[in-house]
Amino acid sequence: MLDAMIRARSVAIVGASQRKTETGGDKLGTVALDYLLAHGYAGKVYPVNPKETEIRGLACYASVKDIPDDIDLALIAVPAKASVAVMKECGAKGVKTAVVLASGFAEAGEPELEAELAAAARAGGVRFCGPNTNGLISVVNDMVCCTSMVCAMPRFSKGDIAFLTQSGAVGGSMLGTGTEEQGGFSHWISVGNEADLQVADYLDYLADDADTRVIALFIEGIRDPDKFTRACAKAARAGKPVVVYKIGLSEVSAAAAASHTGAMVGSNAVFDAVCRKYGVVRVDDAADLLPTAITFSRLLDKLPRGPRMGLIGPSGGICGICADECHRFGLDVPELPQDAQETLKQFIPPFGALRNPVDVTQQIRSSATGYQDTIRTVLDQDCIDGVFLLVTMVGEPRASFYCDIFTEAARATEKPVIIAWTGAQSLAVKAIPRIKRNQVPIYFSARGAVNAMRALLDYRRFLDAQAAEAGR
Amino acid sequence: MTPAEIIREARARGLRTLSEHQSKQVLAAYGVPVTRETLAADAGEAARAAGEIGFPVALKGSAPDLAHKTEAGLVEIGLADEAAVRAAATRLMPKLPEGGNLLIQEMASGRREFLIGMTRDAQYGPCITFGLGGIFAEALNDTVLRLAPVSGREALEMMDEIRAAALLGPYRGMPAVDRDALARAVIGVGAAALAHPEIQEIDVNPVIVAGDRPLAVDALVVLASASG
Repeated sequence: MLDAMIRARSVAIVGASQRKTETGGDKLGTVALDYLLAHGYAGKVYPVNPKETEIRGLACYASVKDIPDDIDLALIAVPAKASVAVMKECGAKGVKTAVVLASGFAEAGEPELEAELAAAARAGGVRFCGPNTNGLISVVNDMVCCTSMVCAMPRFSKGDIAFLTQSGAVGGSMLGTGTEEQGGFSHWISVGNEADLQVADYLDYLADDADTRVIALFIEGIRDPDKFTRACAKAARAGKPVVVYKIGLSEVSAAAAASHTGAMVGSNAVFDAVCRKYGVVRVDDAADLLPTAITFSRLLDKLPRGPRMGLIGPSGGICGICADECHRFGLDVPELPQDAQETLKQFIPPFGALRNPVDVTQQIRSSATGYQDTIRTVLDQDCIDGVFLLVTMVGEPRASFYCDIFTEAARATEKPVIIAWTGAQSLAVKAIPRIKRNQVPIYFSARGAVNAMRALLDYRRFLDAQAAEAGR
Repeated sequence: MTPAEIIREARARGLRTLSEHQSKQVLAAYGVPVTRETLAADAGEAARAAGEIGFPVALKGSAPDLAHKTEAGLVEIGLADEAAVRAAATRLMPKLPEGGNLLIQEMASGRREFLIGMTRDAQYGPCITFGLGGIFAEALNDTVLRLAPVSGREALEMMDEIRAAALLGPYRGMPAVDRDALARAVIGVGAAALAHPEIQEIDVNPVIVAGDRPLAVDALVVLASASG
């Protein structure tokens, strides 16, 4: 059923119009139509408006019922009160799915109108997203059925991250910044009021979706906990990490509990326990949601086998910072074996450090291959499960050289490599965008990099435990 | 009586909590190690029961809906002989509520105290707490939470996650805690909660570690109100 929505072969846009709004802007339906066309949708597009005959060169129909084709998805872009009648027409036409964009339902104190909409959809056999949504984008299908201004971006990168959001505005801004980070997306869905389809329904679908390997959620609350945890368990069995940021944590649900233990339990801790049980990766900073999902997408086939990290940097200072962060996040920085240190001695000036962290010193610049050989040697060690490449201050063209050798090293290994680039980004204007395009994980602080590695390790451990329990 | 019978009878009487003794009977049925203990109606019975359990013993007031016994002056511990038991029983009897009994129980001697708890979340069901117990439990709030059912792996992880995890190892001359036994207790609390939806909350505090052996010394099972 969700296939019809996410892989729609035909889209009707109800409410598209040549005419402008009172303030001179395009109507919502027209905005949606323009975005759909601009992003290169390959399916059939049918504008619907009883007052017009043609919009953007496309024939316009008076009603969905008049369209001489099957409709997979109707984008309903008319005001709240009119949406119910349109939904009834969609049902009569046999439209499979719909997105109801309008606000003015339960969120605006009109639950009866929302119930009426849901009843009309049910009666007509139409499954729908919304109301009060910015719509959905299937990036892999070039299908933008969305009114968020993020769609003014010329294109989204195709990839394997699906993103579900209960806030269209936050979801749109995160999709935008995630795109700037060169994150690749499969689908983006603003779920709206969830009058019919809920977060858990989409999650359940995405757990099976061949285009999706990582699922990011921005949520405020879960309507059906059982359905949600079942979908999380399904994603876990499929080995697809679910990364979540949840707001609304300040309520302490157990304040009225009679026993002492009860009084110490809050809803935040309960949601944490839910996440632990189902391997859901919870981030506590909203700004980490998409970067974490992107890092999972980049390193899902290279999750660290253990906590032992190799640190390579050009200064004792940055090495020390990263080692401290490893300590904070429970990662180990083991001393490298003697023979490895002997090997490194050939590449690193005598005042460097060989034990791990490996301080290559600024002087490594005088060697054409010393840095590459150092990284390769550390990655080759059995006692190393992952590597942090630390950068302080470096400008072009040296920065681009780092980009090349870091990319090559990251691609050549089965172990996770994360860059912490702590110097001025404006000095590396070519290198940093290229690193992102090359899909090498990059953070701009040691803590960001280490925190991400820890999340990867936790997920790997969850998968291992899940496999062990399934095998018993 | 089986746990189901104990719970059914309490609910039939409109009670919100089981007595300590009944709470432990319910939990013991799910693998939680509890103190050896006997109910007694008067000082003479108490003294005889103490002789059977072996000295020293603890003497507590026991009655339904009696939640905070220490605060009510209904707990006497470290009673070394029959005379001490009789004297303590004589002190306690007048403070007992109507229909109350004396509870004579094995003294678990150990300085390490943990707690195991359960709260039933309206959305996600039974949540199991493990953490540092005893009288400082609320102040230190060193607990971790999992959803039931708790697997063996999860129970062991919970022990590693509290800030005071070092207390579970060999500590100041005390042996390492039998983690598997403690894990069975954590798992058991989850199992009891899953088996009996009428249980709203469980509070096992303290779980005293005697030698290396965890033992539930006090326990409280809170029932959902019969209407809800």
